Amino acid sequence: MIVVKNLCKNYGNKQAVNNVNFCISKGEVVSLLGPNGAGKTTLMRLLTGYIEPTSGEVRIFDKDIKTERKFCLKKIGYVPESGFLYNDMTVADFLRYASQLRGMKKNEFEQNLKKVVENLELKSVINQKIETLSKGFKRRTGIAAALIHNPEILILDEPTEGLDPNQKFSIRNYLKNYGKDKIIIISTHIMEEVEAMADRVILLNHGKLVKDTSPTELKELFPEHNIETAFYKITSEAE
Amino acid sequence: MSREWNIIFKKEVFSFFEGVQAWVVLAVYILISMFLTFFGGGFFSINNAGLFSFFYFQPYIMAFLIPAVTMRLWAEERKNGTLEFLLTQPISLFSIIFGKFLAAWFMCVCMLFLSTPLWIYMNVYFQTDNLNIVAGYIAVLMVSGSFCALCCLISTFCSSPAVSYLWGVMVLLFVNVYDFSKLIKIINMPISAESKLSNMLNLNNHYYDLITGQISLDNILFFVLSVLICLLLNFAVVDFKKN
Repeated sequence: MIVVKNLCKNYGNKQAVNNVNFCISKGEVVSLLGPNGAGKTTLMRLLTGYIEPTSGEVRIFDKDIKTERKFCLKKIGYVPESGFLYNDMTVADFLRYASQLRGMKKNEFEQNLKKVVENLELKSVINQKIETLSKGFKRRTGIAAALIHNPEILILDEPTEGLDPNQKFSIRNYLKNYGKDKIIIISTHIMEEVEAMADRVILLNHGKLVKDTSPTELKELFPEHNIETAFYKITSEAE
Repeated sequence: MSREWNIIFKKEVFSFFEGVQAWVVLAVYILISMFLTFFGGGFFSINNAGLFSFFYFQPYIMAFLIPAVTMRLWAEERKNGTLEFLLTQPISLFSIIFGKFLAAWFMCVCMLFLSTPLWIYMNVYFQTDNLNIVAGYIAVLMVSGSFCALCCLISTFCSSPAVSYLWGVMVLLFVNVYDFSKLIKIINMPISAESKLSNMLNLNNHYYDLITGQISLDNILFFVLSVLICLLLNFAVVDFKKN
């Protein structure tokens, strides 16, 4: 369970995240929506303990991420927006490195590697250097690194960016399935992704939480019955 | 903690030797070291029982080579966006800093290891003062440790390995040649305290004491403290920059 209480993050005078509160339970797939600069990436970085909040707290399974950092981070798998892969490593080496950082044992790693490689269709590139991979394979390698320890919480920033429609379809299905007994938080700009995957939408604008609802309810808010219109109207109303 | 820094250490050492970087650094080190020992240090014209000609130039050689080893440790993580990956793993920041520092220092150990045939050669053909040579090696290890820690710190400020290298060389040359007594004179202090402080801060004094066999606590402390201070600053800078 994730509990976010009165969370604020300031960069100088700018309030990137402003008094955000929410709670996410097991089995929920939550989509973080918002225009550019709304504070989505900052919120994700706060949830993963990468940055510290100016005030407020993030609790992961009832432990404060600030004081119980290791415990919390062991529960989380995080895929940042871009980069974050070591280009001089092979896919297998990178996944092994990620598992070692997670404190996994060798046999546990071997078991999980098989599953992850199969589910994300990485078998053909497993011994290839990351720098030689296509954008789609790089993205999947990143997701595989986040999934290697079978985390309770998966946080993904634009997970399907750079994937072709077939890959998008299979990744979405896989994540949707994975999220049945876990927590998944996805930041995305793709509305079809929200409809396809999310049980819940958290809409941010100027660092504030402006809507916390289900995709269906979000659609029903306006006569057009369309998430894109709802997104546009809510975020421009707040301007 | 020990397992954590070991993971980072192994990864960094593997990265050095996976590419050409480590091999180039090692080759350049041994070529320059031998050239300066035999041609710049008057190897055959002075008493070299303690390999003085070899040890004399080491801080200058290290000033050019250590930044090449450390330049990518933090700067490349920042450049490639892997820093966010690393800092969201369940390992302590100090383990990451320590693992990276040790990997760089290990490269210096490898460099020094390449010079051991010279030591063996000296033992076979000349009368040597082996204790003095051991002291010399300790001195180079100490000075290279301080330089590694300082260059790791410099690398945290840079987002390009090339810039990190240039800054590293400049700072290390400055540390090697700058006479701190000029700086200390600005602060009005009693002359005795002034000379004590300038001796205390002078890297060359400590280094040349060690290579001439004067292993004393203040010399060792100077290098150990400089490593600790740089690592702590490294910690503070990484922590500050990510926030």
